[in-house]
Amino acid sequence: MLKEILRIINREGYISIVSIAKELNISGQLVEDGVKQLVRMCYILEEKTGEDCSTFCGNCPFAKNCSKEIVKTYNISDKGINFLKK
Amino acid sequence: MSSGTIALVGNPNSGKTTFFNALTGSNQYVGNWPGVTVEKKEGSFTYRGKEYHVVDLPGTYSLGAFSEDEIVARDYILTGNPDVIINVIDASNVERNLYLTTQLLEMGKRVVIALNMVDEAKRRDIEFDIQGLSKRLNLPVVPTIASKEKGIEDIIKVAIQVMEKKPPVKSPLKYNEVIEHHINHMEEVLKGENLPYPLRWTALKIIEGDREVIKKLNKSILNQKAINYIKDFFKYHSSGDFELEIIDARYAFAHSIVDGTINRPEEDVITITDKIDKIFTNKYLGVPIFAIIMLIVFQLTFALGQDTLGGVVAYLVEGLGSLIESFLLGINAPGWLIAFMIEGVINGVGTVIEFVPIITVLYLLLGFLEDSGYMARAAYVWDDLMRKLGLQGKAFISMIIGFGCNVPGIMSARTLDNKKDKMITILINPFMSCGAKLPIYSVFIAAFFPNHGGLILFSLYTFGIIVGLILAKIYSKTLFKGESSYFIMELPPYRIPTIKNVLRNMWDNVYGFIKRAGTTIFVVITLLWVLAVLPASAQPYGEFSILGRIGAFLAPIFKLAGFGTWQESVALFAGIPAKEAVIGTLGMLYASEYVEEGALLVNAIRQHFTSLTTLSYMAMTLLYTPCVATLGIIKKETNSYKWMIYMALSSFVIGWIVAVLIFQIGSLLGFS
Ligand SMILES: Nc1nc2c(ncn2[C@@H]2O[C@H](COP(=O)(O)OP(=O)(O)O)[C@@H](O)[C@H]2O)c(=O)[nH]1
Repeated sequence: MLKEILRIINREGYISIVSIAKELNISGQLVEDGVKQLVRMCYILEEKTGEDCSTFCGNCPFAKNCSKEIVKTYNISDKGINFLKK
Repeated sequence: MSSGTIALVGNPNSGKTTFFNALTGSNQYVGNWPGVTVEKKEGSFTYRGKEYHVVDLPGTYSLGAFSEDEIVARDYILTGNPDVIINVIDASNVERNLYLTTQLLEMGKRVVIALNMVDEAKRRDIEFDIQGLSKRLNLPVVPTIASKEKGIEDIIKVAIQVMEKKPPVKSPLKYNEVIEHHINHMEEVLKGENLPYPLRWTALKIIEGDREVIKKLNKSILNQKAINYIKDFFKYHSSGDFELEIIDARYAFAHSIVDGTINRPEEDVITITDKIDKIFTNKYLGVPIFAIIMLIVFQLTFALGQDTLGGVVAYLVEGLGSLIESFLLGINAPGWLIAFMIEGVINGVGTVIEFVPIITVLYLLLGFLEDSGYMARAAYVWDDLMRKLGLQGKAFISMIIGFGCNVPGIMSARTLDNKKDKMITILINPFMSCGAKLPIYSVFIAAFFPNHGGLILFSLYTFGIIVGLILAKIYSKTLFKGESSYFIMELPPYRIPTIKNVLRNMWDNVYGFIKRAGTTIFVVITLLWVLAVLPASAQPYGEFSILGRIGAFLAPIFKLAGFGTWQESVALFAGIPAKEAVIGTLGMLYASEYVEEGALLVNAIRQHFTSLTTLSYMAMTLLYTPCVATLGIIKKETNSYKWMIYMALSSFVIGWIVAVLIFQIGSLLGFS
């Protein structure tokens, strides 16, 4: 399953939980688990947006709103690319 | 005296707590697992005169070493010697839950499956072949409804039978040849050592790269030869795709169990999301649909925020103004204080506060779109379009963030490691109209285009996007050539937004807006007020005040754009510290001229502007120099004053050119 998910992500260029679930005939939650596993093992890397430690938010009134993620984005790591080549 | 110990294992939300309660009733007590903060729940029940001990392990999705919960659960299973394990499985999610089950099987324990929440699964039209499941897993499977205490007695009976009569299970899971080969070798090496865990499991975990296990197997347990073997193993297999293969084999096993024994109709969320996405992310329809949705958002924003609710707050602010005024008069407060409170604070800062409703409605609607999952689709269709234009699609995500505030919009470019993408994303973000500019548009729209508010707002935001895109294209052809980097976006299933998330998002924005009005805007307006009433010899708020003179000096710049009064020029510059101050300043300066009650500023604007100059003024506000916070973050992110100054000047020039074009062309065409 993880291999297939990785291949589909690489083929499509985006992660649609639903279309992966349909293609592999598994539940959406299982796809989400799979993506999490791939992230954990660093085959794909989650990009973090917004606030980080080097940002001084001080008393900016919008600080709370700043770090929220509207869209999650990822990258396929070198490890992932090497694996796909095999 | 306990006749045996039963451990409960299961995913979170499998109904395990309910199951534990059904099993033990009130015979339970809570403690802690030694050395960690994880709660330990234990209890007991009596069956046919014998007492049994029950341990509720933390709910986990896996038995790896990735959280304290997982480590506690697995250590207990391996070393706590439960006599039987009841694995509580959510019947609606069997395949997902079986990932944990396969790991249990590999530990070689006695296991019984409680197929829980079968009522819920039946409601979802999921069909089970329970015997088939049991046969494939080689484990007893008992359907239960923990919340109704159904099946509890059955499973107790089965669990006790297994505990007393059955040998521990052998894992049916086989890995590919290479991995089995390594497992066998590792087993050979470890054999005869004093292992704390089962042999095959230990060998497998080492190959999987489980740090906790490897850490445990130190010199006190293993001989030097074994330690060297393990070290060498990692030397030669450091890239370690074994982990992926092993995990994948577990998923494949889980799939093979449910395939044919469980018939799950496609989940509604999948069917619905798929249907919606066929339209919303369609190549040709995606962008137009986005436009229509945004148009609706702006129409609603204006209709609800301005027409319906706008008056209420304005009324309150004015009422408060009169109260403060009579109070100050009553206590014989000095004239300057009254002037400051009324003309500075109420007419200045208060005017800004009047736009709380419109901000509220806009962010309520945007939060709704975000939480439903639509914003990810918007980013997706724009990504597609922008890639075709040779631009980095990720810029659009920054642009959406920029609609709230440009500062986080620009900060989000941080994740781009490609210089070209990063610079372009930063440099176009200020053209996205941020929330602070909304009050400015609202006043002008209310004065001249009250019936087309949504449309005008929509056009302004769109115009900002278009200017941003044109500049991005120019920059990518000239300043920053080269390839765009690649990234992958996640499209989650659609969902019904939760009221909590939507309200939180709205409140954070509204709170930020109010707080800014009370801090930054207050300071700016106070400063301007002082400049407007000094020197004492000049008429306050007149053209011979300090502010008037500054304005008169600046005004000629904007003659060609049609709005050449000193008040309007000063207001634009007051907007550089913070955009809301444009409206605050106009409110303060114009209000003194018109004393009638009611929509003060709107009336003043009708006197001073025409519909054409309104358009050129709004275009200028949309595009001109960003606020200081934005300039500051540009400096920080580009690490250069050069780009900050470039941004400040270029956007001013662009805004000016557009404003002039609007006014001049409009005049030529006979508009006024
Ligand atoms: N319909 C139904 N709901 C259940 C059943 N068992 C538990 N629940 C409900 O599922 C939710 C989660 O249960 P809980 O025991 O807290 O799950 P845990 O996270 O695994 O401990 C609760 O609202 C329970 O009332 C069941 O057999 N059928």
